[in-house]
Amino acid sequence: MTVQLKDRAEAITIQWIPKYTALERLGHWLHTATFVPLAVTGMILYFPFLQPLAQGEAGLFIRLIHRVAAVLFGLLPIIYYAFQPRRLLLHIREFLPRKEDIGWLKGAPAYYLLGKHEAMPPQGRFNAGEKLNGLVMIIAWAVFGITGVPMWFGKGIIPPELFRWLVIVHDLMMIVSVCMFLVHLYLAVAHPLMWAGLVSMRFGVVSAEYAAEHHARWFYGPKRAMEIYEAKKRAAAEGKH
Amino acid sequence: MKRNNPSPNGQATPTMSRREFLGLSVLGLGIPLAEGLTSPSAPRAASPEELAILYDPVKCVGCRACQMACKRWNNLPAESTDALGIYESPTDLSAITWTIIKLKQTDTGWHFFCYQCMHCTDAACVAVCPTGALFHDERGFVALDREKCNGCGYCTQFCPFGVPHLQTANIWTGAAKSAKCTFCQDRVWNGLGGPSCAEVCPVGALQWGKRAELLEVARARVAELQARGMNARIYGETELGGLHRLSILLDEPAQYGLPAAPGSPALARFWQKVIQPLGNALFGVALAGILGVFLFVRRKIRMEEVR
Repeated sequence: MTVQLKDRAEAITIQWIPKYTALERLGHWLHTATFVPLAVTGMILYFPFLQPLAQGEAGLFIRLIHRVAAVLFGLLPIIYYAFQPRRLLLHIREFLPRKEDIGWLKGAPAYYLLGKHEAMPPQGRFNAGEKLNGLVMIIAWAVFGITGVPMWFGKGIIPPELFRWLVIVHDLMMIVSVCMFLVHLYLAVAHPLMWAGLVSMRFGVVSAEYAAEHHARWFYGPKRAMEIYEAKKRAAAEGKH
Repeated sequence: MKRNNPSPNGQATPTMSRREFLGLSVLGLGIPLAEGLTSPSAPRAASPEELAILYDPVKCVGCRACQMACKRWNNLPAESTDALGIYESPTDLSAITWTIIKLKQTDTGWHFFCYQCMHCTDAACVAVCPTGALFHDERGFVALDREKCNGCGYCTQFCPFGVPHLQTANIWTGAAKSAKCTFCQDRVWNGLGGPSCAEVCPVGALQWGKRAELLEVARARVAELQARGMNARIYGETELGGLHRLSILLDEPAQYGLPAAPGSPALARFWQKVIQPLGNALFGVALAGILGVFLFVRRKIRMEEVR
C-alpha cells in the first residue's frame, strides 16, 4: 500500500492534544532514573560473571548506590501523590481493570506483530498493556520495599529463616519487573506502532489521530467510542461476506 | 494460528504453534527447577590432604585457652560483657569473637562445647557469597578473603550454625565486613602450623590434623567412651557433606546447641540452583522474544503506513 497525498500540507499537519501533565512525565522519568540504577546494581550481586564488580570497595560502592536509589525509588510515589492526591484517585480509576481489557489482550499479538487493529476494543488513556506494566511496577514498588527494608536494617533482629525468604522474594520480584521493563523499553523505543508513546512521555502531547486509534474511550468518551467500535466490527463482518 | 505461514518469497516455513512454544518454554524453565530441588549440591571430592579440628568434650576442662589463643593470633579486641551470673563469657560468637566455650548444666553435670566455624563441605555461606570472599581452601576448610568481602551479610543469615558475623562500620551505608573463624588460614598457608586454638589446648581436647586420621582417632575414642558407659557419638562426619570441625558428643546435638540434622542450605541451594537459572532463563526468553518480535515486526509493519 502506498500513501496517497493530496498535497504536502496534509502530510505534515498533525493535531497535537495534551496527554500527560508535566508532573506525570517528571514522575515517570524519575521512576526510570531510580529503577535502572537499582536493577543494574542489584544484578551485580546476582550474576556470577559480574563478580569482580561486587568485590571489596567496588562492592561497597554499588551497595551504597543501591541504597541511595532505593530511598528515592521508595519515596518518589509517596511525595508525588502527597502533593496531588486527586491524581491518585484519577490514576486508580484509570488503572482499574475493565472487561474490554480481555478483548484488548486477546487482540494484542495480532496487533503488535501484524499491525491488525480492527479487533481492539476502545481503551482509556492507558491501554490494557500499559495497565499491566503499571500493575507490575506498583506491586514491585511495594514488594521491594517490604523485603528490602528488613534486608537493610533487620540483620540480627529478624529471624534468619525470614531473611532467607526475603532475599528469594526480592530476587523473584526483580526477575519479573526487569522482564516487564525490557518489554516496556522495546515497545517505547523500537516498535513502529508505538512511536507516539515516547513522544507523549517526552513532550506530553499525542497526535489526535493516534489518540482516536489507540485511546478511543479517552478521546471520544465511552459511549461514542463503543459506537465507533461496533460500527467498525459490523463493517468488517460485512466485508467478509 | 496457521501451521505454515507462507514467507514473502513463497516458500512455506515451518512455524511453531503457540501451544508448542509455551510447552517448550515451560519445559525449559522446568528443567533447572526440577534439577535444583532434586540434585544434591555440588559434591566435593574428599581429598586425603583435607585438614580438620577434632574436639573432645570429655578432655575439655573449660579453661578457654582456645578462646584466648584465637583472640591473640587473629588480633581481636576484648568484648565488654555484662555480668549475667553465668559462666559463658561472652555468650555468643561475634565479629570479634570467633571461638567460645559454651557451658550447659544438665542432670548429669556440665557440658562443655567449643563453638567455632564448622567448616562445612556443603557450606551455605560459600554458596550464597556473591563476591567469592568465602571459599573452600583445597584442604577443605572455609577460608575468608576480607579484601573481597563487600559486607552484604548473606553469609550471616544463611549459615545453619550462626557463625559468620558482620563487623558493621555504618548501618546506613551498609559498610561492613564479614568475620568468622578461618581455621587460622594464614598459619596454614604460611606453614606456621595449625589453628591456634588446637595448638594451644593444654589437655588435647582440641586437636588438628588430616581429617581422615582424626576420624580414626574419633572412632577409637567413641568406642572407648562407649565402653565406659557413655552415650558417645561423632558429630560432623556426614553432616553437610562432612564438617572440618569434628566433635565428639555425649548427648543429643541439641544439648550442645547444635542442629541435629543441619539441612539448612536448602534455601541457599534454592537460590543458586533455582532462582538464578530461572532468572537467566526468563531474561533469555524475554530478550530472545523481543529480538524475534523486533525482526519480525520490522518486515511486517512499515513505518510509512503507520499513522
